[in-house]
Amino acid sequence: MTLTRIVGLALFAAFAAGTAQAADPWVIGIIAPTTGPLTTVGLRQLSAVQWWEQDVNSKGGIRGRRVQIVHCNDEGSPEKAVTCARDLIDKKSLLILNSSVTGPIRATMQLVTQGPVMITPSPNVMPEASTFVFQTSPSDLALTQAIADYLKENHADSLAIIAATDASGEVGVASAAAIFPKSGIKYDLARIDLRANDASVQLANVAKAGVPLIYSNYSGAGAAAVVKSYSNLGLTQPLLISYANISDSFINVIKSDMPPRLLGTGLTAVSPELITDPEERKRIEYFVTSYEAWKKEKMDNLSLQGLGLADTAAAILTQVDDPSNAVAVRDFLEKTPIKSIATFRYSRESHIGLGAKDISILEYKDGRWVKAAPLK
Amino acid sequence: MNPLTQALISGAMSGAVYALLATGLVIAYHTSRVVNLAHGESYAVAGMVTAAISGVGFSLLLAIPAGIAAAMLFSFLVERVLLRPRRDWPVSGLILVTLAAAFLIRGVLGAAMGVDGFSFPRLFVGPPLRFAGGALPLQGLGLVAIGLAAALAVTLFLQRTQLGRQLRAAAENPDAAELMGIDVDRIRTLAFALAGGLGGLGAVLLVPLVSVDFESGLGMTLHGFIAAALAGMSPSLAIVAGFGLGLAEALATTYFGALAQDPIVFLLLIAVALWQSRLIRFGGTARA
Repeated sequence: MTLTRIVGLALFAAFAAGTAQAADPWVIGIIAPTTGPLTTVGLRQLSAVQWWEQDVNSKGGIRGRRVQIVHCNDEGSPEKAVTCARDLIDKKSLLILNSSVTGPIRATMQLVTQGPVMITPSPNVMPEASTFVFQTSPSDLALTQAIADYLKENHADSLAIIAATDASGEVGVASAAAIFPKSGIKYDLARIDLRANDASVQLANVAKAGVPLIYSNYSGAGAAAVVKSYSNLGLTQPLLISYANISDSFINVIKSDMPPRLLGTGLTAVSPELITDPEERKRIEYFVTSYEAWKKEKMDNLSLQGLGLADTAAAILTQVDDPSNAVAVRDFLEKTPIKSIATFRYSRESHIGLGAKDISILEYKDGRWVKAAPLK
Repeated sequence: MNPLTQALISGAMSGAVYALLATGLVIAYHTSRVVNLAHGESYAVAGMVTAAISGVGFSLLLAIPAGIAAAMLFSFLVERVLLRPRRDWPVSGLILVTLAAAFLIRGVLGAAMGVDGFSFPRLFVGPPLRFAGGALPLQGLGLVAIGLAAALAVTLFLQRTQLGRQLRAAAENPDAAELMGIDVDRIRTLAFALAGGLGGLGAVLLVPLVSVDFESGLGMTLHGFIAAALAGMSPSLAIVAGFGLGLAEALATTYFGALAQDPIVFLLLIAVALWQSRLIRFGGTARA
């Protein structure tokens, strides 16, 4: 090999290394259960985030760098979620998006006390404003308040609640105790094990004559047991399902046992025609068209939650000079409203991005979720 | 609604499936001495195959036999491909082989059909029967009646038919049975296929009332095993134990809450095990 050739190769190698360094991707970690009973929750959110990854990269990335999503499957288990978080931190993730459920998310929060910033859509996680954790949904208290308001609007003063025995169920029970008595609403509560395939005993205990609404706080595909048992008992009251179950996959499981009226607490954006902010509406309409063409599945409440995570990450990567600086990212989020499925507004006092105004009581009609009709 | 009535109805429906699973588990155990930890997968296979076939528009009358046949084929393959060539292995090793088969088929079901839950329409359609403050769906009535009849038919088959007697003989002493001209391999294969069919029958009757996913099998194995253990691995007691387990679960949930269900069921299992060991020590017959 001649000297000229060696020098040429060395120069090429140096140039290639420099180019690679300049083009290092923005690494964003995501924890999402893609096996186990909470799969429906994790898969839909992960798909929306992966949609964003290909969408943004097809337009040249952000500030000249591609976005790389690194997924870790925690199977809905706190132990595995902690391993996932450690792994994603080791991989230098700038942000951790956490699409798991209450127990696993809480377990991982202890690992980010010094950053990186963790963003989660779980309404059951209400992070302290002193932490690096931000939440992109209304709180469970706000969701419960929306149910109480709907009952009061309809002059109803009682309901039956089915809650799971997991950490999400505990939050639901605490929210019910905090909201309903204060609103003058009486409730009967029964708990169901996550592995149970029958809820008729629980429903028989609480769905008494005259109770105008049954609320299943249970999240995940296992909640189908509640809907199926409701049908087995021939109940007729409207059945209201949880925020995490406003999804096509859940509807597919229960479609042969659809209650006469199926309601749900969801983001107003699930029904785009209810959005009044033109920028938010445009964003959602673009997402609906592009996502459905890319994934060949309809968007739902869970995919919107994934979009909220993606838009928050996009805003950080676009507007924060050094996204690897967790303090700078936290300051940015606390000061800057972010337009997405709604406008996320954080502050030094609150790391919960949405509120009661962003929630609607929805009803499943003719294959889609629309604003719920009055309770009869 | 009357919570006690509803608990009895709910317990009978779950109990019918546990009885079918326990009977199948006991039959396979008696012919091979192996506790088949992949037994509950026959439930998942039948449920998901039936859901897949009915989901693409075929009649349930085609989908249900296909689902049960798939469950029988799966159990047959566990015995024929995994257990028979390793008959010299210690029983503990063979049990681990069946556990591996369970995880393998879970992976196959998950990869083939996805991780979402599935269900399919009911075979028995109509408003639920209402009595004594409870409601029994027609599908639930069918489940209890068919489940009970099938489990009883298998028990009678074992006791009253020549093939059943051969099956029991092969279990008691395979070498002596072979000397008597009984094809022990064939008998074992038949027992596993029959066991798979019972698990599959449980699925096609219960899944329309609940749902099934690729991970449903292990829970069913656990329930079937608890019922079989409560029955002391006796085929004739498996039915009683299955229904007893279903009722105990439902009553525990009704009167002590969902969190108390597992502790009460396992306490019951420990109590029965202690009682059985007392029988053995103080002159009763040792159970299998």
